[in-house]
Amino acid sequence: MAVKVLIVEDNPVARSFLCRVVRESFSDVIAITEAGDLESARQQIDLTGGPQGLHGTDPFKLLLVDLELPDGNGMDLLRELSHYPATKIVTTLYSDDDHLFPALQCGADGYLLKEDRFEVLVEELQKIVRGQPPLSPAIARRLLTHFRPGGGGEAAPSDSGFSTAGSFQSSRPVPIEKPLDHERLTPRESEVLTYLSKGFTIKEIASLMGIKWFTVNDHIKSIYKKLNVSSRAEAAVLASKQGLV
Amino acid sequence: MLLLAAVLAVVLLGLSYLLAQQPYLDARWRQEPPAAVQLLSSPLPALREFQGARLQRIAGAAGQSIDVDAGLLHRSARWSVDDRQRQRQLEQRLQLAKMLQQGPVSLHFGDRGSTELHPKPRGLLGLGFFYWVLNAAAMALVLTAAAVLRTEPKGRNLPYVLIALSQAANLVLIAVETLPGLGLPVWLGSMRAGWHGVLDLCSAAALVHLATLQPLRLPRGRWIATTAWTGCALLSLAVLQGVLPGAWWWTQAAMLACGAVTIALMTWSYSLEPNPFALLMRRLAAAAAVTLLLLSVAVLAADADPAVAQGDAALSSVAWYLFLATLILVLPVFSRVKPVMRELMLLAGTSTVVTSLNLLFSGLFGLSGTVALALSVFVALGAYAGTRRWLLQPVRGRHALGLDRMFGQLYRVLREVEARPRDSAELLTGLLRELFEPMQVHTLERPASRSRVLGEGSALLVPLPRIDAAHAPTSDGSIVLRFAEQGQRMFSRDDAQLCDRVVEQLRRAVAYDKAVERGRNEERARIAQDLHDDIGARLLTLMYQAQTPEMEDYLRNTLKDLKTLTRGLAASEHHLSHAAAEWKADIGQRLAAAQIELRWNLIYDRDVVLGVVQWSALTRVLRELVSNVVQHSCATQLELSIALDAGRLRLTLADDGIGRAPQRWSLGLGLGGVRKRVKLLGGDVQWRENGSAGIVCTVVVAELAGRDAARP
Repeated sequence: MAVKVLIVEDNPVARSFLCRVVRESFSDVIAITEAGDLESARQQIDLTGGPQGLHGTDPFKLLLVDLELPDGNGMDLLRELSHYPATKIVTTLYSDDDHLFPALQCGADGYLLKEDRFEVLVEELQKIVRGQPPLSPAIARRLLTHFRPGGGGEAAPSDSGFSTAGSFQSSRPVPIEKPLDHERLTPRESEVLTYLSKGFTIKEIASLMGIKWFTVNDHIKSIYKKLNVSSRAEAAVLASKQGLV
Repeated sequence: MLLLAAVLAVVLLGLSYLLAQQPYLDARWRQEPPAAVQLLSSPLPALREFQGARLQRIAGAAGQSIDVDAGLLHRSARWSVDDRQRQRQLEQRLQLAKMLQQGPVSLHFGDRGSTELHPKPRGLLGLGFFYWVLNAAAMALVLTAAAVLRTEPKGRNLPYVLIALSQAANLVLIAVETLPGLGLPVWLGSMRAGWHGVLDLCSAAALVHLATLQPLRLPRGRWIATTAWTGCALLSLAVLQGVLPGAWWWTQAAMLACGAVTIALMTWSYSLEPNPFALLMRRLAAAAAVTLLLLSVAVLAADADPAVAQGDAALSSVAWYLFLATLILVLPVFSRVKPVMRELMLLAGTSTVVTSLNLLFSGLFGLSGTVALALSVFVALGAYAGTRRWLLQPVRGRHALGLDRMFGQLYRVLREVEARPRDSAELLTGLLRELFEPMQVHTLERPASRSRVLGEGSALLVPLPRIDAAHAPTSDGSIVLRFAEQGQRMFSRDDAQLCDRVVEQLRRAVAYDKAVERGRNEERARIAQDLHDDIGARLLTLMYQAQTPEMEDYLRNTLKDLKTLTRGLAASEHHLSHAAAEWKADIGQRLAAAQIELRWNLIYDRDVVLGVVQWSALTRVLRELVSNVVQHSCATQLELSIALDAGRLRLTLADDGIGRAPQRWSLGLGLGGVRKRVKLLGGDVQWRENGSAGIVCTVVVAELAGRDAARP
């Protein structure tokens, strides 16, 4: 049975390029569904059991979502699909943490930069599917702030991206409750993040910490998961506060 | 406070009621020189036919009678210079009071005959306007004393309270004495004349005592105060016992002496600590003493000339007491009081001078009433104009900053605060220094909500605003300025208001600046986003459709440059450490793809903040240089060093590839761009051969104009 892949991308040239990348990356038989906007992407997902991936139908195994779509932001789709059982990857031109970090918070398992070379993209995609997502120094820095006690929730202002820089420097009230376990990083994970934020590669980190490189990758995966879980928990708290749940 | 006011009002009403029950003769009298009493007018029908007649004798129902002279009209015995005259005056008063108490009296008008009158109670309306005014002043004094005691219940305020209370008592006595018509209560008539003097002496001694305690506790002040008190007490005793001949002379002398001592003490205090309050008290004491001296001389002159009506002497003394009362009222709140109150005080002083001079002129020079009055008003106004400035100088300031200069300073500081909001506290302190020229400036941790005058105007508390706070005016502490204009001036409420406004303006200026900056950022972000989305997407399409790998790479680099450009537009600053981390990750990835090993060295003494220009220039220079290595060098290893030492940035890229003889390279688009950008940074780039294999490229920027990360 073919592995189902959904590519949401408005630029037809980019879409076919991404199709090539996907086909090159996996040896399985691939069935690619293409969508040019959010609307048709939602339709395709509804055909395969809806955003929850239920009814025992055959859901997509891999989703490639562009952030800038004609009828909205790809992040909205990611948010709707937070329980969808697929590997979700953001494909974008934006490499700054202001765009990528929220996408990761919405449940993306990794990101691909569209301007990268074909071979690089193939390698990155394989890594993500294997569970070795990329983490740029800027995003690592952002994660450190996010998981710092009292620094949770919103990401701290960063030095890059298109945010209105420096306008949100109000001091956040520190929560009295202790953060839950899934909101905290282990010392090892913090160490990995710190090295990543300084621009070290996985191999360098492994030798600096005296561990195997795949252990470093495990830490990164775990950090991704925690980010996802913590933002989902936050969303739930927020929703219950607003009487939505 | 309210309770006290109510009690006072009840007491006052009780006294008024008592006085209203008192029988009296409703008529207006005039002193006819030398000492006769003439009936001016009367609403009583029995007296109407005697208008203009001289009253010679009053006889009571029990057969007793008194011969009447002008002393009966002379209301306050305190200001009778002659002992015998005073004695006789008191006796007349007491006799008349007794007679009125007993029933009908008959008035004998010499050859015009006589008439019998039944004295009637005067009623509340018969108390006269003046009575209420004086009582109100007395009440105000008592309330002020109570307020001072309540806000600061300390021993050093007791002398002030004593002064206020004794003068309040004095005013009440005067109020009773100046009731219209003939006839005073028996209890007042039987009171010894000395009480006025005793109250005055008590005030004088308390004034000296006050001068030893405030504003500075003077060394050996206790001895000085004790001496003053002892002297005044002994003198009071003697006056009360009537054993001292020339009591009036003694009293006046003692009061003037106390005034002089106070002035001396204040001068001493000011030399010890230049508190403007001492300056003010010295001037006020001088004003009181000078007017008292003038009054004394005037009364003496009037006494020497029997042609002068005694009523004028009484009037001028009342004016002086009122002046004193206003002085006492404004003293504790001089810097904070409304200007109208100070003007009222000056007015009371001026009227004292007018009445005293009037007395003096008509007594000494025998000028007629109108001329004397006109002349004295003229002189007094002159004195007012001259004194006003001198007296108010501790409040107004000697050389207040000109408006234009002040505006200029304010504007300059505003500009500086906008440029350096973090130094706003320092700048504000500097501005306040220039505005007020204080002798001392202290910084307090304690925040304040608004500016306040402290210590009777000797100090001013100004909150230090947290200028970068968005909305709520929070305070980071406060500044205390002491002794404005080198101790020549007191801080006033206006100064506090001015400070509050200055602070508010500073805050607004910064808020405005921030709004502008935010607007600028938003605009830049929007432009960046447009560029990125629009041009970026097209470049990407072109890149996917590129026919050759070279074209593809060229477009990819263009796209990356565009991204660097837009990111530089959107973000205003980058820490060197953060930027370097990204450079390393990016370069590492690219070199790894080309199977070149990266050796990375980063050394910096300070983590400076790179501006947009520096960041994007360095990013693109590095990208171009690395591209060059990847494309042409066939190297296996690249050693990249970034060193920042005392503002000098040095980039070195050393590869082990095949490149040689860099002087013969033609500078294509890429390397030309590198040269251009390095020049833009104010630096220099050069290539040379790296030992036996490869090329070393060195970029040196002698002064990287980055800001210190610690103080972004």
